[in-house]
Amino acid sequence: MKAVSNKKLGISKKDISGWLIMLPTIILFAFFVWEPLGESVRLSLYTAKGIRLQEFVGLDNYALVLNHPDFLAAFKNTFTYILWSLIIGFFTPIIMAVLITETVHFKGLFKIGVYFPNIMPGMAMVMMWGFFFRPGDTGVLNILLSKLGIESMEWLTNPKLTIPLIIATMTWKGAGSTALIYMAGINGINPELYEAATLDGAGIRQRVRFITLPNIFSLGKTLLILQVITVFQILYEPLVMTNGGPNNRSISIMQLVFNYAFRDYNYPAAAALSVMICIVLVILSAFYFKLTKSKED
Amino acid sequence: MKKFKKLISLLLCALLVMSTLIACGKKDDTQETTQGTSQEDANSTTPTQATEATDAAADNIQLTLGIWPEDTLTADIELHEGYVKTFNASHPNVEVVPAYYKYATDTFVPLAESGNLPTIFESWFTEPQKLIAGGYVADITDELEARGWIDKINPSIKDLLSKDGRIYGIPRDGYALGLMINVELFKEAGLVDADGRPIYPKTWTELAESAKKIKDATGQAGLCLLAKDNAGGWHFSNIAWAFGATLTTEQDGKFAANVDSPEAIAAMEYVKSLKWEYDVLTADPTNEDWGSGFAELGTGAAAMYIAANDAVNQPTQVNGLPVDQLAMCALPAGPSGDQFSLSGGTPYMFSKDATPDQINAALDYLEIMGKAPVVTDDAIAGMKADAQNKVANGVPVIPRFPCWIADDVLKAENDIVTEFGNVDTKLFDSYFTAIKTQGNLRTEEPGSAQDLYAELTKVLQAVITDKNADVTALMKTADENYQKLLDSGVNK
Repeated sequence: MKAVSNKKLGISKKDISGWLIMLPTIILFAFFVWEPLGESVRLSLYTAKGIRLQEFVGLDNYALVLNHPDFLAAFKNTFTYILWSLIIGFFTPIIMAVLITETVHFKGLFKIGVYFPNIMPGMAMVMMWGFFFRPGDTGVLNILLSKLGIESMEWLTNPKLTIPLIIATMTWKGAGSTALIYMAGINGINPELYEAATLDGAGIRQRVRFITLPNIFSLGKTLLILQVITVFQILYEPLVMTNGGPNNRSISIMQLVFNYAFRDYNYPAAAALSVMICIVLVILSAFYFKLTKSKED
Repeated sequence: MKKFKKLISLLLCALLVMSTLIACGKKDDTQETTQGTSQEDANSTTPTQATEATDAAADNIQLTLGIWPEDTLTADIELHEGYVKTFNASHPNVEVVPAYYKYATDTFVPLAESGNLPTIFESWFTEPQKLIAGGYVADITDELEARGWIDKINPSIKDLLSKDGRIYGIPRDGYALGLMINVELFKEAGLVDADGRPIYPKTWTELAESAKKIKDATGQAGLCLLAKDNAGGWHFSNIAWAFGATLTTEQDGKFAANVDSPEAIAAMEYVKSLKWEYDVLTADPTNEDWGSGFAELGTGAAAMYIAANDAVNQPTQVNGLPVDQLAMCALPAGPSGDQFSLSGGTPYMFSKDATPDQINAALDYLEIMGKAPVVTDDAIAGMKADAQNKVANGVPVIPRFPCWIADDVLKAENDIVTEFGNVDTKLFDSYFTAIKTQGNLRTEEPGSAQDLYAELTKVLQAVITDKNADVTALMKTADENYQKLLDSGVNK
């Protein structure tokens, strides 16, 4: 009898044990992800003393954030970051992967080599590059240039170079691990295709163009979206290397959130901006899921 | 068998859920448990002692000192251990808990919201209004009133620490900006008088010329200019005043930005010329902040730096400049002879959770340290110990900026400086004469100083990274932005 009534409710005994197994995870998620997320949305609609809510103000915080003089600069910069990350960061790992797969000797050495910068802690990496990019006679790169008889450069303090250089350091660190993913993709390609092509007289260039690239195309689409999502949230690289300068030329939206929360203690404004970022990222993620789904089909 | 397996897995699940819930439980529970066990332990040994202990615990209070020195400063810790001994002699019921806390904006709010702030802590001069607005600090007006300290706080500093007539902190030190000088570099450049004392620049133009001479003679930067964060705008506001600018005006309680006045633009043009005409700045001002400026000065990479008297330990003790190689003069005057020193105070503040008893204990502790407006034997001993400690660590012992205006305190402080003075006072004369001049001291711009500084810093970054920067246009943008921030913030 009982089983029947349970069935009516849509719950069977089997389901119960399933739910019980999931329960710990659900509770953890609820406490550490969903609850803070909901709380953050709520905070963005109130005024607050610290993080204690005071008064409901609707979308005032959103208006405040959008009208801040730094918002437009940060918004533009974030897209400049994405653009440069596509120009510099997207193709580098593909080229690395193709070259390494085509290598005959010391493949393992090269694989480790490209992955090596990834082992470095992020903060140490940006500080190290900070020393490299120092303008004047004490910067490492300028010292090297002077040995070659080339005049010293301004590096990060040249507003035109700030974002591309920050992206270059990020690529230096991150390209290796992405290249490994591409290599795995390339290794998954049926070797018979290459053999057949070679027999038909295809050179390396043709092999790459007609076999390798089409086969890693869908993988590339996925990684592209992932890269855009990551770069959208860029924070500590510009924060440490330039503090958003010179004159806001490298400030990112995430740094605005950081400033609101940790410089001004204006948590509602920080929450409002975070919610907006979240919405953009949800859209991008939906796009990503659609892409991966069509790939599976 | 299958059923048994299922039962076990169900049990395990339940256990996991339970443990998760327990882990999420309140912190108080665990405290209770530990207290419970310790009492049980006591019971098992001598029951009478245990009851005594609990009775005493009712009267006992804890004083957590965020102002305790950090672990590496062993000499300072010894000094404080001495203070604690004196303190406990008169306050046997107070348990002093060292809890070194270096104020930082990323750690402060979590500490405060979780109720873990030390009873007393130091903050930055930029923070008091923010902390008061957030409800993080205790109102100590009544405690100060009972002690009769309120009228003794330097009024300009009191304003920085008050809101709506209530007071939330007391000054650790007052400060007024001046120009710190690396004497070695001045000597190398030949900028010294017959007695070997550096020849101070009296105007900003002279400063640029002296800086140029130093750069040519030594290859080191003449001036360390800050342009990384708000400290850049903070220093610049003082330069702008000398050029005759007032950056914020107030009318009927509404603030108006006045950043694009001809005077302010002239000041910014001057800063621009330091980079593109004189070329006397450090390699990358956009990466210089308050701390790195002292490193440049202390290590001889820059000859001059805008800094305050309460930070003389920074170039010397922290960055290794010999104590006799540091001089300090008044900030230079502008083209029409205007000369100002930006002044303020570094505060001691108290946790919002502190009880009046705890606050009083903390204030008593400050008395023993000699940082309060009272002259007792303990206080004098505290001041002496502090001065001795400075001498031993190569920190100049110079008069404090008068953050308390009680005559007996000032006299006691001056006596200590005379007794322990370890520097040629003539090296600091110009600075102290200037700040005693009527009308020299100026507190920071009203309105929203931090927003103003942020806007000015952006302009600073632009003019020192771009030779063709249009100063007038940049200052106009800064003015518009600052007005916008004033309107959306304080002018409501």
